[in-house]
Formats: sequence, C-alpha cells, structure tokens
Amino acid sequence: MSSNASPQYDAVIIGAGVSGNLIAKQLGLAGKKVLILEAGLAVPDSREEYMNNFYLALAKTPESPYPALAGRTGSEKNPVGVLPDPSTLPTPRATVLSIGKGPDVSYLVQAQPWSETHQGSQEPPQNPQPDANGNVPGLQFSSTFERNGGGTSWHWLGTSLRELENDIKLQTKYGHGVDWPITYTELQQLWALAEKEIGVSASTEEQQPLEVVGLVYPPGYEYPMQSIPMSTVDQAVSSGVAGLQVPGTLPDTPGGSDPTMYNVFVTPTPAGRNSEPYDDRRVCAGNTNCIPICPIQAKWDPTVTLGKALDTGNVTVSYQSVAYNVAVDGTNATRVDYYVWSRDANGNLSKVSKSVTGKIYVLACHAIENAKLLLLSNNMQGIANSSDQVGRNLMDHPLYLTWALAPEPLFGYRGPLATSGIESLRDGEFRKYRSSFRMEIGNEGWNFSKGDPYTSAMDFIQGTNNTGTNDGGPNGTPQRLAGVQLAEKLNNIYTRQFRIACMFDQSPLAENRVTLDITNGKPNNVDGLGIPRPKVDYGLDPYTMEGFRMAAYVCSQVYQKMGAKEFTANGVGGAGDFTYRGVNYHYYGAGHVVGTHRMGPESGSSVVDASQRSHDIPNMWIVGSGSFPTVCTANPTLTLMALAFKSADSIIAALNT
Amino acid sequence: MSTNPSTPPSESTLQAFADMSAALTGFQSSFIRPFLDPVNLSGTFYQFAVSQVGQPRMDALMGTFASLSNQTPKLTSQQIADTLLETALDAPSLQAQLAQSIVAMWYLGSWYVPGVLGGGGFGPPALQVISSQAYTKSLAWNLAQSHPMGFSAFTFGYWSQQPASLQTFGVDTSNGGGQ
Repeated sequence: MSSNASPQYDAVIIGAGVSGNLIAKQLGLAGKKVLILEAGLAVPDSREEYMNNFYLALAKTPESPYPALAGRTGSEKNPVGVLPDPSTLPTPRATVLSIGKGPDVSYLVQAQPWSETHQGSQEPPQNPQPDANGNVPGLQFSSTFERNGGGTSWHWLGTSLRELENDIKLQTKYGHGVDWPITYTELQQLWALAEKEIGVSASTEEQQPLEVVGLVYPPGYEYPMQSIPMSTVDQAVSSGVAGLQVPGTLPDTPGGSDPTMYNVFVTPTPAGRNSEPYDDRRVCAGNTNCIPICPIQAKWDPTVTLGKALDTGNVTVSYQSVAYNVAVDGTNATRVDYYVWSRDANGNLSKVSKSVTGKIYVLACHAIENAKLLLLSNNMQGIANSSDQVGRNLMDHPLYLTWALAPEPLFGYRGPLATSGIESLRDGEFRKYRSSFRMEIGNEGWNFSKGDPYTSAMDFIQGTNNTGTNDGGPNGTPQRLAGVQLAEKLNNIYTRQFRIACMFDQSPLAENRVTLDITNGKPNNVDGLGIPRPKVDYGLDPYTMEGFRMAAYVCSQVYQKMGAKEFTANGVGGAGDFTYRGVNYHYYGAGHVVGTHRMGPESGSSVVDASQRSHDIPNMWIVGSGSFPTVCTANPTLTLMALAFKSADSIIAALNT
Repeated sequence: MSTNPSTPPSESTLQAFADMSAALTGFQSSFIRPFLDPVNLSGTFYQFAVSQVGQPRMDALMGTFASLSNQTPKLTSQQIADTLLETALDAPSLQAQLAQSIVAMWYLGSWYVPGVLGGGGFGPPALQVISSQAYTKSLAWNLAQSHPMGFSAFTFGYWSQQPASLQTFGVDTSNGGGQ
C-alpha cells in the first residue's frame, strides 16, 4: 500500500500469547482497532484434539498435545517417535525432545559450549572442564516454547507468585545484576490487575509468613479466590521440616559468607487455577496435568483473555501469519511484512507475502522470537538495537530437581502438579555471593524425575533397577515380581515418592544471547518458510552454580529432617549436565525465558523503557518476559501480564494524543 | 481359535485372557473386565498382543494359564502369576516375557516389545500407546491410589485428604500375596 495512506489499524500486535492477548483486550475495550498476527494455528474450538494428542504421545512432554507432533510409534532410532524436521515446518519451536540435538531436529541452533566460544570475554564464565572420561559438560539452553494461538502458556503451571522487593533491586541491595526501572508500589498495583484477569487463588493471610523475605501486600488487599488446599505431599513436607534452619552460604563460598540461619518453611502457592467457579470456568478437579494441558480449563490460559479481546468487536486475529520484517522509516515503524502459510491436501507448504500497517506496533511473540524478529528486520541489520542489547542477557530459571522416598505414604500423583513451595529462602545477604532460589514441591511423584509410573513399573516387572528402588533381592539385586505382590510393591513405592524443584535467579550475562544463525549474511539453517532460525549461546556463571550447591544442600537437609531417602542422580556429559566443585549437577529449563530485550531507564544499556516501549522506535512496544532485566525468584507469567497492563495504558495514551 | 488377529476373539477366549490378566496384574477381575464393559480393553489388548507376537505364542501362554488354573489342589492367583512370570528364575523365557508385556499393557496402556529392557536410569521405550482409552484406563495410576495424569474423576480438594484404600482402587488384596 502507499506510504501516504492512513494506517489500517490502531495497533498491530505480533503474537497471541499472554501479553499480546491482554494488550489486545485492553485496546479493544478502549475502542481501538487491533490486528493480531499469530504465527501458528488457530485456537481449536475444543481441546479434545489436544487431549487426544497427549493421551497418545509416547513422551508426555510439555509440547506433546500441540502441533507439530512427534510420531506416535517408537523405533530403535527414534524411541519416542520420529521428530519433525524444523526446516519443513512453518512454525517450528523449541521442544523438550529436541534438546541436545542437531539442527535437523532442534529448531534452536545451539552454540558450542562456553569453553570453546567465550575465551577472553570481559567476565569469563567458568565453564566446567571436561571430566575424567573426557565428556564436555553440555551447557545448552533447555527451555521450550509454543507457537500457536494462545502460545506457551497453554502449558504454564499456573504459579502466580509475586516477585520480592529485593528481586527488583538486586544491584542496589546486593551489588549483583541490575535493578528494574519500576517501583515495587507500582508493581503491586499491576499485579492486582493481573491476579484479577487470571483469577488467582490464594490468601494473603497464608502468605503473611513470607514477610521475612519482604513479601508484603497493600493494606486490605485480598486475592480473587480462596487458596488452593495444600496437598497431602505438602502437608508431609511442611510438618517434616518444622524447625529446620539453613545458613545463607556454605563454607568456602567465593566472595564472602552469610552465616545467618534462615528458617525453612512451606507456604501454599498462589495459583492461576479456580478454587471457585470464576470467569465462566470450572473449579480445578486435580487432573495433575497443568503441564502439558489442563483438560477442563480450570487453569487460566491466554485463550481466555483472547476470547475477551475478540468479544470487544475491535480485535481481529490473523492465524498462520508469520512476521519476518518490521519496516522502519526514520525512527518510526511503518509496516509489518509477514507470510500467510497454508498446507494443501497433500501437506505441501505454501506461503503468500503480505504487509499490514498500524499506528502502533507491538512485538509480543516470545522472548526468543521477539529478539529474532528484531534482528531479522531491516535486511538482518536489526532494529531497536542502538544499545546492542537485543538478544543478550538471555536467562531462564535453570531448574535443579531432587527426589526422594518418604518414610510413610504421602500420596503424590494427586491434585494440581504443585500446590506449595518453600519460598522462605528467596532473599537474604547471601545474594551478594550466590544466586537465590525458590523450591517447588511436586505433587506428581517421580513423574518428572524418573518418568514414573512407567519406569518403576517396568523395573519391577522386568527385574531392572533404573529407579534405584529395586534392590530388594539377594545382595541388593533387583527383584522380578508378579500379581498382587507386584501391585502392592509398586503401591508402596508410588505413594512415598515426591520431589523438589529449585529455580534460580540466574545472572544476566551479555554472553548469553540469541543471534541469527547466519554466516556472512547468509542463513545456515532456516524454517519451512525460509526464515533464518535463532542461534543460542547459554551457560551458567559461578554465582548461579553456587546457588545449585546450596540448593542441593538444602534439599538433602529437608529429606534428612523428614526421614526420607534421597535418590537424586545427576549424569555427566548430557545436555544440562555440569560439574561444579567436583559435584555433578543437572539443570532443566523452566520455560521462563527472560532478558532478551531488557527494560531500563536509558537507551544506552537497555532496549525498552518501563512501559516496554522501544527506546529507539517510539511507536513500537516490545513486550513479554524478554523485558525482564533479571529473572528474579518468582515464576514470570504473573509479572509479565502485570507489565502488559502498564504497556496497554501507555499505548492507549499514545494513541489518544 | 482364530489365527487371524483381526477377527474378534470368542467370548470364552476373552474371559480366559481377562482371568489371566487379573492374576498377572493383581487386580480384581471386575476391574479388568467389568460386567458392563463398553471399552473392552480385554479385547483390544488381546488383539494387539496377538498382532505383535502371533497367535501361537499367545495360545501357548494361555494354555499354560489354563493348565495352572485347573490344578488340584487349587493354586492361588499369586502362585499362578509367579509361575507365568517365572519370578523364581534368573531370566524369564520368551513366554514369560510376553506375560510381562501383558502386565505392562494393563498397567501402562502401552505396548512394550517383549524382552526389551530399559537402561541408563529409565525404563524401556514403549512401541506405542495402544489407544487413548488404554491410557485413560491404565492401572498403574490406581496403584498410586490416584488417576491417570490428565484424567481425573475426582473433585476439588481431594488432594488434601488421604485417598481411599488400595482395594478400592481394584487391587485384589484379599487373595494371597502381599508384602
């Protein structure tokens, strides 16, 4: 269209996930005309198709209900089914099953380990050395995301914790990381809006003990719904750890020590799932399946807010529409170029190139995809990047998993995946020396830890010991059991299983970054539409690793205090394995992808301001957890929605002037 | 007995397969093959196993079950299960490996190729989930006194209280065996 014509929309939003849908709804309510470009497939009319995908999936990973699917028949070469080749897909995404794989399987092109690529950097991360067997630890980015209508938060857990005041003042308070350019008071107001939109079940009275880590609510504030009851697992851990204290740091922590003794106690987790009928959705029935999919939508997901956005009559969604360029004329964004893709009856992929204009542009397509689109634009010269911070400071909540058998049944595999946590160790002077973490108590036995109930069942059917529990035969050999004896043995094991997941406030590092997988301006790996794929460099610094050392210690203390037997086992050489001070650890991704377009007070060191508006391009907002300057100690969804409320207000104000 | 796995098995074959499955898994017959059984997992599993290992191998296993069932004095279900799964032997025969795969079908809703073992900290990979209903009715979850993940028949807050007894979840705890 002619550049002189007036824009087609008030706002063009790229991505129909948490932030995009919330901003669309707010703009729609204000009478603004909005187009959402969603790269992936439309939100299905019913989630039965997704449920069926989940039931039939060999590996019930977070991505398993959502297209494109892994094959449903295993083979020796592909034991969990054939994985789709990202170069044939219009919207490939990072998946659990592709972690540690090459670019024929993994959408994210994972860079070499730090030891090979980051020598001589200003703040060299101490990449662990190869072990005695010569295995190089596989520091790989291990978080995944979806590209479909509704986005990754189809499979969020629902955890709706608020950040702590010191989370957002890490530099000022502890001299580490960076501060957030927003006040805690303002965040409190924004969280209240997000808690209402999501429908968070919690009680401020039950959260009150967390005043010790600085969690405070404005006077009189109460959550929209009563809290989710603590599970039998939570109750056992809570009573089992009574009186436990741990020091802020372990002996020989680099940089200094915090000998303060901190109380370990359990609190219910504020959750975006219904404890009462709310917002025309049902009460949680404890399907124990928040990840990968709630069968009854008792857990809020972004399609709820998308529905409300569409109900305004001012919002349109264009599905299967992949943005690949944001045109900038001078300082303003002027146009989005995108492919509309389709498949014919034979599955052949085709695309049509289109453009659309708006007064305002909002990039809301995930921390990695936002960075990719910014770097792709302007013929791969990049936009909104005068700070050189686009794609940098990639963070996650690296997740350390430990697991144990309780002395008595505590009955996991029941209720929402997690209903409580240990939040009492999230803040303290130790943050000068090591990363802080929260501890999530799981209600799904050893499902995450060991792939149970499958692994234990096959152990006792076949006489193997992959779980570590099948050692009751002569001289500790595995048993093969049958009939009622088999059933009762498995009952005895399953009902005593539980796990704790620790999530760390990883350091922001410029070297951890998303770039385009290009060499001399030419893409090495592309998706099915010919768009260059993101390349990721990722690793952990000693500050973060020291947090792992502490977390392993705290978990062992919890298990000892409970009389539980720990079975945590960490490998060497696999993706996510590393060795720190002689001890092996493994991290999982938490899906909490953060930092790639960090917010800050000025354009020299950040990409967006506190309202997530580009410093460089005044009619462009870049939104989502990519704006977080640090990953903090709470799961990010609540806060990224809170920030989206602030962005929506600033966009409406800009449109009205 | 038909040699064509696509032909539905006879009523007597199905009942014998269900009785054998109950002994092998330790579950009450009414959980394996309910009086009203629109899902008919017994039929699905029988036919699936035959399609994988062939009719003669299934016939041989069920023949052994029949002869064990007819012994006098009568064997307990636990004795029959131990014999079929050869738990006293160091290594299971091919026939016992098929019995293992049948237990796995009921417990896990998936087909595990007989004799393929797991390793490296994880169980063997399943060839496939046999059907959606095979997953949503799989019995390992009952051994956790719970429900398949993603298929809860319970109501809000159940997780804050102790579950019903293992027997309520279908394990034949009254009939031999036990820890």
